[in-house]
Amino acid sequence: MMGGRVAKALWASGLLLTTLCAAPIRADEGTEPETYGIATLPLPAPPHRFITMGGFGSSTFTIFDGDSGKMEGNISAGYIPNFASSPDGSKFYVSETYWTHGTRGPRQDIVTVYDAKTLAVEKEIPIPSRALVNQLHNFGLSLSGHRGYVYAMQPASSVVWLDLKTETAGGTIDLPGCSMIYPIGDEGFASLCGDGSLATSLISDKGQVTTTKTKPFFDANKDPIFDDSVTDTAAGKAFFVSFTGLVYEAKLAATPTIEKPWSIQQAAGLPVAGTGVKELTWRPGGHQMITYHKASGKLFVIMHMGNYWTQDAGGSEIWVLDTKKHSLISRFPLWAVPTSGSAAKTKPVYFRNIQVSQDEHPVIFLLNSEGNDMVLDATTGKVIRKIEAASGGAVYVSGM
Amino acid sequence: MSNSKTFFDKTSERWVRGLAGFTSRRSFLARFGVVVAGSTLPLLPVARAKAATAPESDFERYSQATDDTKCDYWKYCASSGVLCSCCGGGHNTCPPGTEASPISWIGTCMHPDTKKPYIIAYRDCCGKSVCQADRDCSCDGEDGAMPSYRPQLDNHVIWCFGSSSQVYHCSTGALVGPAN
Repeated sequence: MMGGRVAKALWASGLLLTTLCAAPIRADEGTEPETYGIATLPLPAPPHRFITMGGFGSSTFTIFDGDSGKMEGNISAGYIPNFASSPDGSKFYVSETYWTHGTRGPRQDIVTVYDAKTLAVEKEIPIPSRALVNQLHNFGLSLSGHRGYVYAMQPASSVVWLDLKTETAGGTIDLPGCSMIYPIGDEGFASLCGDGSLATSLISDKGQVTTTKTKPFFDANKDPIFDDSVTDTAAGKAFFVSFTGLVYEAKLAATPTIEKPWSIQQAAGLPVAGTGVKELTWRPGGHQMITYHKASGKLFVIMHMGNYWTQDAGGSEIWVLDTKKHSLISRFPLWAVPTSGSAAKTKPVYFRNIQVSQDEHPVIFLLNSEGNDMVLDATTGKVIRKIEAASGGAVYVSGM
Repeated sequence: MSNSKTFFDKTSERWVRGLAGFTSRRSFLARFGVVVAGSTLPLLPVARAKAATAPESDFERYSQATDDTKCDYWKYCASSGVLCSCCGGGHNTCPPGTEASPISWIGTCMHPDTKKPYIIAYRDCCGKSVCQADRDCSCDGEDGAMPSYRPQLDNHVIWCFGSSSQVYHCSTGALVGPAN
């Protein structure tokens, strides 16, 4: 029996081999010799491009096209990096830190300049220091993109400014008691200070720096302002949002003005939120919880139910606010949004990072607690797509 | 930093990490010695009694004294980051091959059984990439935590200043003595 089976198998395999050898090779079956290449990114960028950074310890920026959901490329970065895009989208800038032997050896702080089409490194600009703080406003560009600003902490507070036309470090500005960078046109930048004031640092064409401070307009002891507040550099506007949900609109200029704050909760018909540790109400929270659509004047805020001191908590809704009328436009509930992945099936999913695109038909990019991205219609709140990716730290869009 | 300096001299030369583990801001201020760029703001002794009699925070209500690999271990009332006790070290021991930051921050934690406050010194262990421990070993206090314009209260800052490498690995908390 065994000999018969073997004979049949040999016969069958011989027949198959003969058949295969006899089959004609057709050029349209994709067997022609191939050329090898390296992809490039589209320029100008697609309108719904977003760039994500993973959580603590991650060192990769990932570039996505929100319309297709496809990953376009990656940028390797150093320790606790920050990202910026030039206004015309032709260059990417990464502020980053390295040690020569990985986790040891001499420290090197640099701003790396990338060609945004090829992702080739064009230049490494040495800088004297930078802050190792997991926040977004450590790095910013001026309106024209001719200057860059790097927040530094040694642990004394300062800002390193860059001349991006010559791609060199211009100087260091001491900023005692203040931190972060909110660019003001091409003239300089504003910073928030621990005494509740706003510092304005202006840099002349000759590199001379003058720093002034406003009178305190918020009380950091009672109701601090989020570091991830938002600005519209072209319009010279900033929206500073406090832990309780007060919105301070500021005109950033050589002499800044700050409007009387209005309450997110009151805009939604609720009582103004207080600072009680047992005062359960809707509150802003997350890591990057506020974003602004410049053309429409809409503010998008991730909100959660919680007591005071839950400012890091991820949210379950997005509130859309009219910054001109100080009113609520809509609420986008997120609890019912299904997310893939085994963990998300059994646990609530929270959202900590949000950005909105700046085009006529804007979309929202959301990062959740499970490391997944979602793209939503910014007008209806409808989920357009989910993108599973290891990115829970930060999200960037062009034009902010 | 001179070795002749006392512990409190040393701790007064650091900034406090804003890690306030689940307590109100008022009691947070009572828990910490705060130092900014060499100028000491010794909040600890002043408000200590008040902290001891204040209503229990969420952290204090649920803290325990038996397992130092959990975020609710009582000495971690002001801790944030990855627990070194999950990473080959202990609550008062850096893991092998790491470097204890010369800068520490201090807090006052209430023992869950005796209800008495004790001073805890916290140090980051530095020089290795972040410890890949279980997610339950990552503790994130929010009470009293502030943005970097109040750096002494900012728990997003890497507090490895003064170490040969500022790469963060994990955090410890060691008992110094009674707060009274």
